[in-house]
Amino acid sequence: MLHEQELKTFVEGTTSFFEVAAQQPASIGSPYLLEGTPAVHEYTGIINISGKREGVVMFTAPKAMLTVLLMKMQENDFSHETMRDLVGEVANTISGNARRDFGREFVISVPSVLSGQLKIPQKPGLRSFIIPINWRSHSAKLVVSLT
Amino acid sequence: MLLSGTDRRRQLITAGVGTVLTLVMGLVLFVGFRIATEMRANIAALQTASTLQTYPDDITRQLASLRDRLEARAYSGQALEDLRGTVRRFDRQLKELNATGYVHSQELTRALQLWQEYGPVIEPVVSFNGQPYVDSDTAGSTLSRDGRTHYAEVKRAQLFATDNSRTLQVQLATLATSLQRDASGAAARLRTLLSIGVLAALVLAAAAVWFQFTRARHERAAREAQDQTRDILMTVREGFFLLDAEYRIGSVWSDALTHMFGRKDFAGLTFEELLKNLVPASTLATATKYIKLLWGERAHENLMKSINPLGQLEITMDNGHGGKETRYLQFDFHRVMGPAGIKQVLCAVGDITSSVLLARELQESQDNANAQLDMMLAMMHVDPLQLVSFLDGAETGLKLVNTILKEPARTDAEFRKKLSGLFRELHSIKGEASALSLSSIASRVHTLEDIVSELKKKAELSGNDFLPMVLKLDELLAHLRSVREMAGRLTALKEGAHAAPAAALAAVPAPAPVQPAAARAPQQFARRAEDLVPTLHALAERLAQDQGKRFKLKLAGLGDVPAHYVGTVKDCLIQMLRNSAVHGIESPEIRQALTKQDVGVVSVAFQKAADGFELVFEDDGAGIAPDTLKAAAVRRQLVSEDEAAAMDTRTAMALIFRPGFSTQDGISMDAGRGVGMDVVARSVYALGGKIGVSTHPGRYTRFKISLPAGAASSAVA
Repeated sequence: MLHEQELKTFVEGTTSFFEVAAQQPASIGSPYLLEGTPAVHEYTGIINISGKREGVVMFTAPKAMLTVLLMKMQENDFSHETMRDLVGEVANTISGNARRDFGREFVISVPSVLSGQLKIPQKPGLRSFIIPINWRSHSAKLVVSLT
Repeated sequence: MLLSGTDRRRQLITAGVGTVLTLVMGLVLFVGFRIATEMRANIAALQTASTLQTYPDDITRQLASLRDRLEARAYSGQALEDLRGTVRRFDRQLKELNATGYVHSQELTRALQLWQEYGPVIEPVVSFNGQPYVDSDTAGSTLSRDGRTHYAEVKRAQLFATDNSRTLQVQLATLATSLQRDASGAAARLRTLLSIGVLAALVLAAAAVWFQFTRARHERAAREAQDQTRDILMTVREGFFLLDAEYRIGSVWSDALTHMFGRKDFAGLTFEELLKNLVPASTLATATKYIKLLWGERAHENLMKSINPLGQLEITMDNGHGGKETRYLQFDFHRVMGPAGIKQVLCAVGDITSSVLLARELQESQDNANAQLDMMLAMMHVDPLQLVSFLDGAETGLKLVNTILKEPARTDAEFRKKLSGLFRELHSIKGEASALSLSSIASRVHTLEDIVSELKKKAELSGNDFLPMVLKLDELLAHLRSVREMAGRLTALKEGAHAAPAAALAAVPAPAPVQPAAARAPQQFARRAEDLVPTLHALAERLAQDQGKRFKLKLAGLGDVPAHYVGTVKDCLIQMLRNSAVHGIESPEIRQALTKQDVGVVSVAFQKAADGFELVFEDDGAGIAPDTLKAAAVRRQLVSEDEAAAMDTRTAMALIFRPGFSTQDGISMDAGRGVGMDVVARSVYALGGKIGVSTHPGRYTRFKISLPAGAASSAVA
């Protein structure tokens, strides 16, 4: 079973990115469980985790949110590649936080980025923790699917 | 490295031999120096003696020459001067020879005596300084009066010298021979001594070489021992170090310590400084006290081990990635004794993190196994279909909990709005789990209820506050799944793998889309009326035991409950039964004091009524005092004191159906949250029914629930 501190580490990794990059903290919405394949937004950063826990942690955000985020970061380039890089950066921050807090017990992959509303396969019967990440009027999702 | 007894003896012998040989060498050199000095004096004396041998003849010859000249009236000044020089040299050298002190022979004494005898006869001759001749025209040169005297003295001296020079010469020759013999003897002694010196030097050199070799061998052994010690300290997984009397770490420690404490500057560090910032202050204080106790001579080591507070020390330190990690260290102490008592304390530190975590996992597994066993035993008393019905209902309820959580929320009000709904759903599940004696499920739901209670108390809610809840919800769902699997296996065991109930369990359809607990029961739970009786009896039995009460449960007409009301009737009865057991029925002692029967009575009657059905629940307990209800409502800040004072009895009685109302201050598995009667009322109202309550303090409480004849599904929102 996932521990509260582990979940908090992923959440803090996500919210701290907004605080640092956009000088405007993100808040988290009401977390819930999801059995099956989680629906994702246009851009999704994924880190694979093995070791003490096995599975994936995803940060998935809509294009609109990323556009505003880039604007807040004084970026003028709103291209597809920049969006991908931004989501990758969020995933990277989550990964860094996890490395810091979990140490050797977790083996954390280099983040990968997917774009488009894809179906990301999940282990059958595995419930994911869905944590809405609210920033300004937008909402992204942090998906934690670990055994 | 410690020296063995043999090594120590060998070193002492080597040092002794070296000292003796050095002394011998010193003695040889000293004696050799003395002999050489003596030899030099001897040789000088010998040379003098050899020279002196010729002087007596020279004196005799020069006296003769002087006489001849005087007789020939020739010039005698030079002859006299030569004689004077010879006599003075002889006299001086003879005295010098005597004065050296090296020569103490009879010959020298005799020679000195003889020379003294020469004095009176030769002194007048050598001291003459007059004119020996007188010149005249007639006689030519003749001896003057002084000359004649001088001639006579020369003649006498010549005669004396002729008689004695041989003797003097022999004495001096003998003296020279004696001195030569002495010089030869000294030379021989010196040779011997030098031989001894050379031998001693060789032995000393050999001893030095042996000593050097031995020392090199010992140094090599010491180096090897040091290398081995270093290798051990580098390789060993335990952290080793020594503490001195000031509790400071020595200069040697094992490398494992570096990994354990993430530092390298151990030398001179106090034990307190080592643990500072890693453990709480209270633990640090205990550890420091313990270390001080270790230095007490009278404290028995085994006793000290038994009270070691550092047997499993939890420390928090950097994980090398900028974060923190928790490790468990085991400290073991051994006193190092010296001749004067405790010299140092050896400290062995082991990283037992893996063992502790493993033990914890084992304990969890054991607990899980025990819980599963308890669950299995509890399930054996539950009808399989009844269990399936419960599991379906519970899963559906939890999915509804999840649906409530899923509702988007950003503000405190939106988050707070979820809490009441969550409470009701969870309370229903817990009530039924308790009724079925499924304690592992009931306790898990109870934990979730606790979380919701805590959230209610918070001034401002955010999504972060719901993270523990969602984790516990996940855990509970996983537990329900394992219970379902266990139930399947148990049924298969009971009735065979192909028996119908097992098949039913294995093929339990996924619960349909969820609705609130108050409304879903009739439609969703395929509960059977005949399940009600055993479930309620089991619950009554457990409640009586848990609450220390004694009461009889009388059930009537429950077999007539229509299928679509079974769920609601069951939920209502479970809640009302819990209320009676906790609040209604008094303890046997109180009942005796009130002259009531020891055993209370709770009666339930279900019957058809004119326009539907009627469920009457009654207990002969304490009843409900409106003032008690008002006071509880004020205490829970549901109403103000003024509002409470203004309430009539009917309004006061209605308080029991308000969410969050309870007369019990503490929270237990069966009461205290103020949710149960709220659930009952909502369930009844959702079905289009009514609920009424009548009571007489000290005598009874009666709930009367009226339900319409048909299922009031249209009432479900």
